[in-house]
Amino acid sequence: MARYVVRRMLQAIPVLLAILVATFFLIHTAPGDPVTILAGDGGDQAYYDAARARFGLDRPLPEQLAIYLANAVRGDFGYSFVHRRPVFDVIADRVPATLLLMLTALAFSTAAGIALGALAARRSGEPADHAIVVCTVAASATPAFWLGQVLVIVFAAGLGWFPVQGMTTARGSPAGPGAVLDVIHHLALPALTLGSLQLALVTRLVRSGLREALREDYVRTARAKGLTARAVVARHGLPNTLLPVITVVGGHFGTLLTGAVLTEIIFAWPGLGRLLYDATLSRDYPLLMAMFIVASVSVVTANLLTDLTYGMLDPRVRLA
Amino acid sequence: MRAFIGQLALALIVATACAPPSVGAGTSAVASGGGPRRGGSMVIAASADPGHFNPAITTAGGTHFVADSLYNGLIFLDEKLEPKPDLADRWDISADGRTYTFHLHPGVKWHDGQPFSSADVKFSFEEVLLKYHARTKAGLEAVLAGIDAPDPDTVIFRFKQAYGPLLQRLDVVEAPIVAKHIYTGLDPTKADANLKPVGTGPFKLAEYVKGDRVRFERNDAYFKPGRPYLDELVFRIIPQSNTQVLALERGEIDYVSGIPGPDLERLQKNGGYTIAKSGAGSGGSFCITTLIYNLSRPPLDRVEVRQGLAYAIDRQQILDQVYFGQGRVATSAIASTITWAHNANVAKYPLDAGRANQLLDAAGTKRAADGTRFKLEFVHATSFAKIGELMRQQLAAVGIDLQLTALEVNAANDRTFIKKDFDIGAASYCNGPDPEIGVRRVYVSNNIGPILFSNGAGYRNPRVDQLFDTAAASVDRGERAKAYYEIQDIVARDIPDWGLVETEGYRGWAKRFHDLSYWSGDLAEAAWQEP
Repeated sequence: MARYVVRRMLQAIPVLLAILVATFFLIHTAPGDPVTILAGDGGDQAYYDAARARFGLDRPLPEQLAIYLANAVRGDFGYSFVHRRPVFDVIADRVPATLLLMLTALAFSTAAGIALGALAARRSGEPADHAIVVCTVAASATPAFWLGQVLVIVFAAGLGWFPVQGMTTARGSPAGPGAVLDVIHHLALPALTLGSLQLALVTRLVRSGLREALREDYVRTARAKGLTARAVVARHGLPNTLLPVITVVGGHFGTLLTGAVLTEIIFAWPGLGRLLYDATLSRDYPLLMAMFIVASVSVVTANLLTDLTYGMLDPRVRLA
Repeated sequence: MRAFIGQLALALIVATACAPPSVGAGTSAVASGGGPRRGGSMVIAASADPGHFNPAITTAGGTHFVADSLYNGLIFLDEKLEPKPDLADRWDISADGRTYTFHLHPGVKWHDGQPFSSADVKFSFEEVLLKYHARTKAGLEAVLAGIDAPDPDTVIFRFKQAYGPLLQRLDVVEAPIVAKHIYTGLDPTKADANLKPVGTGPFKLAEYVKGDRVRFERNDAYFKPGRPYLDELVFRIIPQSNTQVLALERGEIDYVSGIPGPDLERLQKNGGYTIAKSGAGSGGSFCITTLIYNLSRPPLDRVEVRQGLAYAIDRQQILDQVYFGQGRVATSAIASTITWAHNANVAKYPLDAGRANQLLDAAGTKRAADGTRFKLEFVHATSFAKIGELMRQQLAAVGIDLQLTALEVNAANDRTFIKKDFDIGAASYCNGPDPEIGVRRVYVSNNIGPILFSNGAGYRNPRVDQLFDTAAASVDRGERAKAYYEIQDIVARDIPDWGLVETEGYRGWAKRFHDLSYWSGDLAEAAWQEP
């Protein structure tokens, strides 16, 4: 098991390196120039030249890459052009907000997806099942930015049940337990927006998996020995249905990260997604590179964790 | 993994395409009742995270909008852009226009209690502004001979020749004064001090939650008696302007600096908000949405063709449908809001398809069998996409096939200003508080280079170059205006570019707040709240 983990981590290194080099060239060859953007409406050639020299952008691209990699090996990923601070300091400030949003969305969509899927499978063919199926199809076809806007207009601006934006109240934030409730209050709509796609996927997977499982012989046996319908589903049906769910949840980590960018912009959520958006607009190369590294490492880690969980749930899978 | 990068790229494209267009431009007075009173807090929507709090090293609007309240300039520009005292109480200009002497307000203290003096002003210019503030560097470096600080309360600016527009360049947006004792020996672009700002301004930094909010508290030792009146300012970072407006309506925030056209009427009807038109703001003011013609490409190298375009483009329709009437049809190269320099009596090209066709015929561009004369590529940022669609219809009527190339804003600017690969480009040229700051760069021939928002048309007219020099080298407004009038006459005949709309932004805030300097960097120095 430990050897398996180490091997997988070693395998990740060339993958990450390839991503690093590819993104380096992609980012640098995209049209737009960080120096002219930074100077904004003003500036002259001398200013541009000085800024390019300061950021090392006056050198040939391969040389810039070599310098970047050499520094990166020593743990120096450079200064953000815009924030003028080491890039990982800038990123670290934003990680908690994004993590909170993503994990909440993930937990909520997985839990609710399993519950709804189980309900639909048990009521197969009944109106509840049809309603759930229609809703999941609609949810998987709804883009996050549209859903987010609609939720804001209906539940925040219209009904006033939730705040329109932010992670905390801007005007005199409460302290203690009130602060936690304040964050939860702000978290509801963005988490729902971000989790809706995942919720639909999980629901449909659980529903179809469980419908099949409920026709198996061992389920008939369980029923025959007098277990309640609930116990049959929970103890005998679900465990076998969850394997594909784990794969989907883990494999969609990247999708979730992508969705977080849009969700955070709509709800003014102070996380990584918005940082990435701003960094792209300003062509903040060092910050963009660092964020791609963080994203790649997260996705690789999520995949690894998925495989490990798989091994634990299914004794037939041997991790060696 | 590949799918992830693809999705991320897609999300970015979508996000970029949805980026709201920037607004700018106009002024109007706000009524206020009763007298100012102490206390209260105001929550202000900021579109971008400031990143740091050193406005002297950047022209980025996101930094200035927040950080300017921590600092002062030598000069404060009032609503009409007239210079008023800030750190400088008064100033004398020598008869030859080459020497400006500023008498500083005595007894001013930095936020850390250290005394402010002329040495700070000299240091701010020499070590920070003239190196890192792009506009101040571009404007002053070449003309300035030196800065002297003969005693703690006096600063003298010496110029190589007479220089007219200095006072307009000294407000907190163009030239914030930073502390010498903080930045001496440090790289001001990387200093940790940029996150622990020490200014002279009405507010002090209390809390910075990155990406979320910045909280300022009152500077009790501020040098202007009684000010500021508010105890606290909170800048809440909300990137989307429609979210800002919803948050204002729900009372989560008190001030928004850009109200999108479709929301304006609703807010005005509500009655709970003060709405002010403004053409000014951090990072740019008095902006004109302008078409840039590539003068080195036929057929746009012919003035008859450019005149034909002028007669064919319905600018009123663009103003109504794209800007929801927020602004005015542009009338000349200098914005009408710079009243002393604006020349309203230049050559005019009222909408006239017949006249347009005549001119295009005269230029030798005959219609082909399908009625088309020629194709032009309009390279533009996605924020100008609606303008492109309207123009495509308008120009089709006179036989011009306008091909639309909509790009992310930086990519569009790259094509227009750096690579010069376009027939027609578009930019929002902000005039700034003086034509020397924002208009000169668009027309002088020594500013045709790979520089953003420069002379993108590639326009060369020696007389225009000479007139801009004349206007800059005089401290007499009448004399300067004469030069600017002639420039506007010439440009209106040559049409190297074509101003469409002088844009105006609408700012809105909860009615209980009064006396906001919404046109300036120091938004809330004089602001107060009804109990």
